[in-house]
Amino acid sequence: MLASKYVRIALGALFFALFSAGLISCTNKGHDSEKTVVVYVSEDQVFSEPILKDFEKQTGIRVKAVYDTEEAKSTGVMNRLIAEKNNPQADVYWANEPIRAQVLKEKGIAAPYVSKNAETISDVFKDKEGYWTGFSARARVLIMNKEVDSEPKSIFDLASPEWKGRAVIANPLFGTTTSHVAALFTVLGDERALAFMESLTENKVAISTSNGESADLVASGRYAFSLVDSDDAVNRIRQGRPVKMVYPDQGERGIGCFIVPNVVVLIKGARHPEAARRLIDYLLSPQVERKLAFADCAQIPLHKGVEIPPELKPLDKINVMKVDYEKVAKKMLEIQPFLRKWAGLK
Amino acid sequence: MTKRLALWAAALVLFFSGVLPVLSMLHSSLLLEGHLSFSNYLNIFSSEREWILLKNSLTLAFLVSLITLFLGVPLGLLLGKTDIPFKRQLSLILCIPILIPPYIVAVSVDNCLGQEGLLRLFLPAWVLSSLSSHYLGLGGSVFVLSTVYLPIPMLLTISLLKNVNPALEEAARLSAKWPLVLKEITLPIIRPGLILSAILVFVLCLGEFSVPSYLRYQVFSVESFTQFSAVYDFGSATAQSVPLAVVALLLLVAESLYSRKDLFLSTPLVSGTKTLEIALGNSRPYLFILVSALAFLIVILPLLSLFYSSLDFSVYKEAIKVAGDALTRSFFYAFLAASLLSILGFLSAYTIKNRAIWCWRLVDMTSLFLFAIPGTVLGIGLIATWNNPWTQFVYSSLLIIVFGYVARYHVLSSRIILSQLYLISPSMEEAAQLAGAGWLSRMLFILTPLSKRGIMAAWLCVFLFCLRDTDISLIVYPPGCETLPVRIFTLMANGSPGLISSLCMLMVVSVLVPASIFWHLRWSR
Repeated sequence: MLASKYVRIALGALFFALFSAGLISCTNKGHDSEKTVVVYVSEDQVFSEPILKDFEKQTGIRVKAVYDTEEAKSTGVMNRLIAEKNNPQADVYWANEPIRAQVLKEKGIAAPYVSKNAETISDVFKDKEGYWTGFSARARVLIMNKEVDSEPKSIFDLASPEWKGRAVIANPLFGTTTSHVAALFTVLGDERALAFMESLTENKVAISTSNGESADLVASGRYAFSLVDSDDAVNRIRQGRPVKMVYPDQGERGIGCFIVPNVVVLIKGARHPEAARRLIDYLLSPQVERKLAFADCAQIPLHKGVEIPPELKPLDKINVMKVDYEKVAKKMLEIQPFLRKWAGLK
Repeated sequence: MTKRLALWAAALVLFFSGVLPVLSMLHSSLLLEGHLSFSNYLNIFSSEREWILLKNSLTLAFLVSLITLFLGVPLGLLLGKTDIPFKRQLSLILCIPILIPPYIVAVSVDNCLGQEGLLRLFLPAWVLSSLSSHYLGLGGSVFVLSTVYLPIPMLLTISLLKNVNPALEEAARLSAKWPLVLKEITLPIIRPGLILSAILVFVLCLGEFSVPSYLRYQVFSVESFTQFSAVYDFGSATAQSVPLAVVALLLLVAESLYSRKDLFLSTPLVSGTKTLEIALGNSRPYLFILVSALAFLIVILPLLSLFYSSLDFSVYKEAIKVAGDALTRSFFYAFLAASLLSILGFLSAYTIKNRAIWCWRLVDMTSLFLFAIPGTVLGIGLIATWNNPWTQFVYSSLLIIVFGYVARYHVLSSRIILSQLYLISPSMEEAAQLAGAGWLSRMLFILTPLSKRGIMAAWLCVFLFCLRDTDISLIVYPPGCETLPVRIFTLMANGSPGLISSLCMLMVVSVLVPASIFWHLRWSR
């Protein structure tokens, strides 16, 4: 009886402590409008959170973030931004590729802002009207298991009989794989791109849920190679897993390697516009690009002359696929019915 | 007056937290460029693919319900009615999977089967390779979800066996052996509960998307999720989720009507009455080994594998650093929601049992529907309803998460408490009323103490479900206020495997501690 009484008192105390701690953690809002910035983030939390913490330290502006990932298919963040359109909660959106930013622009959720820190970034990676600006990019690369004898050199090797049933790609309905397929449609033309996609089916290319999973499947030896983002490949290399990264289609006649920059967007009707602009300026600075290059995501700086780790190639040494991201975004929406059918038939 | 006010207030909380958001989503699904249109619904079954997905969803849910029922009921009988040793410990171990988010179970099994997993120490590479290739798809989804939902029929069996009047079994035992008594007397008495457990498992499987998505098995819930994430078309996505919700609702309604008819079969026991125990005799050690082997295979081995991949204890320090605040918040949100839901559940159960307000059936059906509809629909609906300048205090605070939990898990608290209320004789309340006690006094001093066990069970059940919730929390959590399952989910992308494993272990421990305390209190009583 006595023990039961003590257990009840202990439980009561525990709940009281939890209640107080929770209340403190949720009410410490910091209502000073320019001392807080709300950012929705689609870049992986492990890479983006340290950057946002550094911004907090440097400026004293508190960052309140909502994270999402490609693994979560950005359901939370993008759907929230769209659902919150009439009463926006976010000030800034840090997307991990430009297509989503373009969707936001078209839905009237983005606002234009041209940061002075973006002056030295190539116009290819910026929206013409300033609705989004690119920084630190990933390359779409081939990751291959080191125990495999020959080496794929092109994304067209996915359709080569030599690799039948030995390759895997992420579901093209999501993330950077969607952008890549849409980019291929704009570069190759609809007819060739459709034929390429059909040949992937014939060549028994497997479908994974994400690029990260594809990289793991290659690292574990289940598949010989995959088409993934460079951060997925470098991450596995740094974990000491038996994989190698190949920049595809680098020959003179190759279509080049598709580059996917991070993108930052000012949200229309942002509650903390000044803090939001400061965060955007910070994200577009060379110092952030350097940090993201040396982090495990190993992203390629878009500013010239930023120091990079040895496993990365600077942008000017890569044969880059020449695309217009606005056209890619439009094509992506256009090919959705085809992609759904294609993925559903797998 | 007090009675009507309280019961209507409870019904209105359910309306504002769940019904209004879902209605706003259904409204958007009926609009196409601002005009009324049924095209979203007509499109659903216009392609062969949608039928395949529906077939896959039903196959998965049916197989998991069947397996959990045929494994869970014998397990419940063994652990609830026999003298098998360590029954308390075995029950607790077998319940672990339902306490943690299903995708963590999927990850831990995958860890076991991987080339760096624990099983490589015991199995040859070709066996492992064959197992891991079968893991992807229907096979793996059935295995993981059966593991996760096995505790539902098992626990319900254990619980229902306590309500079987021993006099009936004793009478039957005079002329028959235990297997026949179980077949002819015990199991028919608890049959409504067993059917409810199978339907609950079926409904939970229909709505589950994280495991089929992780294991690449195409089902309808994944398709609905895809509509949200790939096309950002809320109307179409909502329409995609309606067929499954309707199937689930029909099953739950049928069960509800059936179980009311059979209520006379479960005779309330006088407190302190001991149920009959089956002596296993010579088969006792063999059955113990069998149950232990099952617990080892489906629970301990995957957890050991998680633990094995997080053996570097420095990652635990890192895990607490990156997720300590999220863990505190998870407990806080779950505590608030469970406390609120216990009160609401009690009031709703009272409403349903006594048909106390004219819309009592609507309250019951609505809570069932909100449980059956995908969390994404409810989450987006909550944003659409509550994100406006006048209700900013709700949307930008923890209240929005609590509202989400209330809408989603209301049915659990109301159903658990309802089953307890049915065991209380109406004469108790009537006697108090004749003695002059008002409605509030009768609730506080008669019905609440008498249904204390049900309220406690409801509180804990809801607390654990809120603690492990991912789908609603992921969509509505206020900036900077994420929960632990959400933090694990977002850190899974490119987070180090050790860190992820240690976060998963943290999640397991954080749900096991309150569950063990409750278990201890319950068994010691």
